[in-house]
Amino acid sequence: MKTMTFNSRISSRVQRNWDWRAAGNFIGGGVGSGLILWSALMSPLGYDSLPMMLIGLALVGTGLFCVWLEIGRPWRALNVFKHFSTSWMSREAWVAPLLFIVGAITWFFEPLLVWPTALLALLFLYSQSRILQADKGIPAWRHPRCAQLVVITGLTEGCGLLLLLLPLVDESQPWSWVVLFVLLGLRLVAWQRYRDGLTQACAPLGSQKCLESIHKKFLLIGHLLPALLLLVALLIPPVAIVAGILATVSGAWMKYILICKAAFNQGFDLQHLPVRGQP
Amino acid sequence: MKSSSDQTKTIPTYCYNCVAGPDPMAVKVTDGVASEVTPNFDACEAHPGNGRPCVKAYGLIQKTYNPNRILQPMKRTNPKKGMKEDPGFEPISWEEALTLLSDKLNGIRDKGLVDESGLPRMAATFGHGGTPANYMGTFPAFLASWGPIDFSFGSGQGVKCVHSEHLYGEFWHRAFTVAADTPNTRFVLSIGTNVDATGGPSAIARHADARVRGYKRIQVEPHQSVTGACSAEWVPIRPKTDAAFMFALIHCMLHEHDRQQLDLAFLRDRTASPYLVGPDGLYLRDPESAKPLVWDLSSQAAVPFDTSGAELALEGAFKVKRAISVDADEQRHEMQDIEAATGFNKLVEHVAQYTPEWAADICDIPAETIRRIASEFLDNACIGETIDIDGVEMPFRPVAVTLGKSVNNGWGAYECCWARTLMAVLVGALEVPGGTLGTTVRLNRPHEDRHLSVKPGVDGFMAQKLNATDKENWVAEPSGRNAHTTLVPIVGSSAWSQALGPTQLAWMFQKERPEGWNMPVPTKPDIWLIFRSNPAISFWDTHSLVESIADFPYTVSFAYTLDETNWMADLLLPEATDLESTQLIPVGGTKFVEQFWKHKGAILRQKVVEPQGEAKDFTWISTELAKRTGLLEKYNNAINRGAGGVSPLKGEGYDFTLDTKTPHPPEQIWDAICKSASAKLSDNKEVKDLDWFKENGLYLTPMSQKLWYLYPTMAEQGLRFEMPYQERLLRIGKELGNRLHEKDIAWWDEQLSEYAALPVWHDIPGRWETALINDGADPEDYPFWLLATKSMQYHTGGNVGIQLMQEVSQNVRGHTGVIMNTTSAARLGIGHGDRVAIRSHIGVTYGRAELIQGVRPDTLVIVGQFDHWATPYAKGLEMPSLNTIAPMSLELTDATGSGADIVRVAISKVKGESL
Amino acid sequence: MTRYAMAVDLRRCVGCQTCTAACKQKNGTPPGVQWRRVLDIETGEFPDVRRSFMPVACMHCDEPACEEVCPTTATKKRDDGLVSIDYDLCIGCANCVMACPYEARSIVHKAEFAYGDKPMAHEAQSFDPARVNVSTKCTFCIDRIDLAEETGLTPGVDHQVTPACVNSCVSGAMVFGDIEDPDSEISKLLKENKSFRQNEELGTGPGVYYIWDKADEDNDL
Repeated sequence: MKTMTFNSRISSRVQRNWDWRAAGNFIGGGVGSGLILWSALMSPLGYDSLPMMLIGLALVGTGLFCVWLEIGRPWRALNVFKHFSTSWMSREAWVAPLLFIVGAITWFFEPLLVWPTALLALLFLYSQSRILQADKGIPAWRHPRCAQLVVITGLTEGCGLLLLLLPLVDESQPWSWVVLFVLLGLRLVAWQRYRDGLTQACAPLGSQKCLESIHKKFLLIGHLLPALLLLVALLIPPVAIVAGILATVSGAWMKYILICKAAFNQGFDLQHLPVRGQP
Repeated sequence: MKSSSDQTKTIPTYCYNCVAGPDPMAVKVTDGVASEVTPNFDACEAHPGNGRPCVKAYGLIQKTYNPNRILQPMKRTNPKKGMKEDPGFEPISWEEALTLLSDKLNGIRDKGLVDESGLPRMAATFGHGGTPANYMGTFPAFLASWGPIDFSFGSGQGVKCVHSEHLYGEFWHRAFTVAADTPNTRFVLSIGTNVDATGGPSAIARHADARVRGYKRIQVEPHQSVTGACSAEWVPIRPKTDAAFMFALIHCMLHEHDRQQLDLAFLRDRTASPYLVGPDGLYLRDPESAKPLVWDLSSQAAVPFDTSGAELALEGAFKVKRAISVDADEQRHEMQDIEAATGFNKLVEHVAQYTPEWAADICDIPAETIRRIASEFLDNACIGETIDIDGVEMPFRPVAVTLGKSVNNGWGAYECCWARTLMAVLVGALEVPGGTLGTTVRLNRPHEDRHLSVKPGVDGFMAQKLNATDKENWVAEPSGRNAHTTLVPIVGSSAWSQALGPTQLAWMFQKERPEGWNMPVPTKPDIWLIFRSNPAISFWDTHSLVESIADFPYTVSFAYTLDETNWMADLLLPEATDLESTQLIPVGGTKFVEQFWKHKGAILRQKVVEPQGEAKDFTWISTELAKRTGLLEKYNNAINRGAGGVSPLKGEGYDFTLDTKTPHPPEQIWDAICKSASAKLSDNKEVKDLDWFKENGLYLTPMSQKLWYLYPTMAEQGLRFEMPYQERLLRIGKELGNRLHEKDIAWWDEQLSEYAALPVWHDIPGRWETALINDGADPEDYPFWLLATKSMQYHTGGNVGIQLMQEVSQNVRGHTGVIMNTTSAARLGIGHGDRVAIRSHIGVTYGRAELIQGVRPDTLVIVGQFDHWATPYAKGLEMPSLNTIAPMSLELTDATGSGADIVRVAISKVKGESL
Repeated sequence: MTRYAMAVDLRRCVGCQTCTAACKQKNGTPPGVQWRRVLDIETGEFPDVRRSFMPVACMHCDEPACEEVCPTTATKKRDDGLVSIDYDLCIGCANCVMACPYEARSIVHKAEFAYGDKPMAHEAQSFDPARVNVSTKCTFCIDRIDLAEETGLTPGVDHQVTPACVNSCVSGAMVFGDIEDPDSEISKLLKENKSFRQNEELGTGPGVYYIWDKADEDNDL
């Protein structure tokens, strides 16, 4: 009896329920969380990081607003808190108000609280990664390396944005260039490992092809070029801003693709062809 | 009906949208709205389909509430007719509509029912396989009271059915359609039969059971249909070469296997195999009695076939001292010292040429596959075994051969029908448990019991009611526009015969007639009635056919939506559809496609909900028309005779006849029919009125399974199946030729070549290529065969405008365009979902390419009949249709008047968004 | 303990979509939303081609991924094995749609009917505004299963309390019942035949079994 290979999944299609609005949450949440974290590291006492943190919170909030626009019943959105015990979406929802509350206290009262804010931001980013990992219907998301990629890319994007914003509030800080350089390396490794993982796991070919189709651009514009620019920035510091923009935008673009285009569902598997009667 | 709450009722009724019906079903009605179709669980024990209707029935709710329905009578205001002419239908009252129609009808009656060409002034076209009769209430009684009506303007009859099987099936074994004895069989060779798509719940359930039990079905067809999918093996044969394949199987059975693997006793006693054939190709007959001679081994002499105590020789060469033969027109030849062979010998000799190697090239099937299939057929035949059926011991021969559409139509169909029947005969598997069975009769009577149609005739065979070909009785002047009694002897002249005649001839001859035409010119009918049919879409060369329809002076449609045929109508009368009106019909017994019941009885279709708008019950319409045309008494008499229902209203021990002088409301008519039907069915033990039927849905009495098999009836009457040698057909063909030539008619000569005692292979696919050349086209420009196949969702449902059917059909391949082999498509740069043009030499149809592996590289397949340009909803589907581009061609019409649903085409990618 | 499940005998299924239509009608799903459907599957290359049919719907899993991810607790696993959705809790976030490996769930964002915006009489009757903008899926005809509690009828045996798809199936391919009851038809059928479940490696424990052959003589499944 002929058995179909796992790759020949039947009727695997791109999911159609989450569009740019859902992607917006992962993009805003990732960039915002990353920014908060790196801005805290940049200014351990918190004072200088406050504007960054505020922008980071705004980005997280924008992402959540995007989701609010996406859900079918926005006026009962508060039900989202009901399933903390197993749902990472619920957990993300619980972390978000804490993040905003602690962020507000930090802003208004105690800059040192930037650290718990950063921790909550990291938790928020982690929750987002686990939302995707829990979605068993999308093999490209449920792969554990997808969660790693989502965390690392969030951090990278946040750092990229930091490079863009730093000149507005402070002078450029070369240590952040080093961080971004390292993060770009990590993201590239995570990206490569993720795609290798999908191949090993025989994820739907549609997903693999889709990600493959952006690989070249993502590698060149999202990694090699910003890395090169960071080196150039050693000579011409403002170039680091461009590197930051490229790192951020490319990561956001990759996540948009991951959520909206590469998200092929599981499909079906006919493990055994039915026996059609034999005397 | 059952109430689960005050507001919800479950009402039993039936679905008869296709010939595989009727199937019991029930409808949930909530607050007067039909909400859900369900099986009729009360019928699940008796109904071979377990009380379940098929997917089409689930569309009936939408059919009822479809916003695109015509819900009041309409008259045409634009006198011009054409595709581009808006008919300008204007709503009118029923009173005005019936007055218009009855004035027209009375005018015809005043002029005479038959016109100057001797043709009926009234023509009527009803849809598929007689099914509309199950929705037209007492209209048959009106038609019966009217007088001559021309039913020859077909809407696909003859080319979309299994035509040759109807004719030859009834001729050989009273089998209007043929089925496997699925519950008992072990092996089915299914050549193009798409029973899992069109066999209805009964066939599907029976075959599903058989698969689980472990029977083997081999599907031989150019593309892998649903039935092919559910078979153990798919053999992708080249289109229209089925006869060669079967001839080779017969060759294997007769030349490569031991004789003991055949049912020699059956051949000797139940067939004409031992009949002696003389050098002139005719039976040698006893000079005194003219009975066919056989060779008696005990007396070593030729004796009449029915000589008691004779020991018949099946094979051998014999010298007969004295005999006669009777040729066409009773020409007797006296002969002496004749070298004679048996019919069986002739057969063996005849098929010697048809080796598997010979067929392999023609059919594109490896010779070893052909040999293996022949072996498997023989191995499973269980020669010598018997089975007990309801206390009677019968032969058990669990092998069957079935044929599908296009195998059974047009050139090659006679050969296939013969070969199929012969294969069954060779192993004694005709009309016995496990074997190949007929279902019912339509050309013979009575319809309800085919056994009663078996009567002794000449030469030890069943009596046949064929159209006369002798000089005195041949119908030289056709009484209908397709000349069925004139041209097709085997179709007979029963109520169904005309619609089974060469229906495309009626359309073709409206446009042009063969050279040398010397019969009366076929006229247009003064009035044409349409019901549950859309010939403008469902026949061939539809653009030209639409022009003919547009030329008809007055068309009246009992209309559902403004479809393509209704577009040309003058008067539209909305009838209450499936769930809105009342009718009692027979159910059970044996009937096509695989309705083999162990009960028989009557089933009610009832007014589940009130008719929408001003739609009227057909019985009401019929009574009104009868009243207004002075036919009321005849009409009521026809109902009393049983024309509107299941049985006469008066029989032994019961009398529910209606007063013939007064019009009766539908409920009263059906009440009388319900009572008489139940009285007749129960031998007067029970009388069930309309209210009882409304509550219970159907009335059944037990029937023995013995009645599934014709063999015991044949044996009881000492009759033989007219196989293998077709002396009678040979003679009839000659006679018909004599008649036609006496009238200087030569345009039917090619068809006469089909009348062969032993069918010979002629290049059947080549006929399509020759036809192209004769039409001035180059066959190389049209390298693909285009076939049409049926789908369960749409097959004869008249439901192309039903959204639910469209939605669910999208899950089944082929419902988005034209099926094509992936490799062939790649060669032509066609991708999945690309918009393509499919061209024949007469036209083009457009659709999307649906690429698969399960189709021959030289074959394209289109599902159903689409290409609508008027039908609401359907006109937006952008589906292609074979009908648009298949020509009607005398050259491609066989002797039964049928053509095959197949055309040579080219395919190319065209501009348009890919899916 | 009761565990309702379904067995589909793939040997019987002819892909006719009667179950698809019966489900749509019984549950009044809008155009394009099919809580169940039958896949038409081709394998192999010409001429060695096989075509099979496989009905798919919510698998009413033992460990439903949809339930785990649902942030609102709208999706619940019941004690009898049914996975249900509380339309009043659901926010239509579609996380469950992503989590389900069986494409079982749908969300529509506006009321649509067979012939456009205007419902036909039966559509108006069955239209439930609570089902717009929330996640919906096969319920195993939960109202009928609940009716069994009230009436004492047996799901899978009595048609009144059996899912519409099972009732409708013309080839008798589907069987429904309690797999914890060794005497139920489904239990016997699964014992007598070889079956598989969809994507078992994901650990969802699907409640729909696909029969493809009879069991070996020694019943070694």
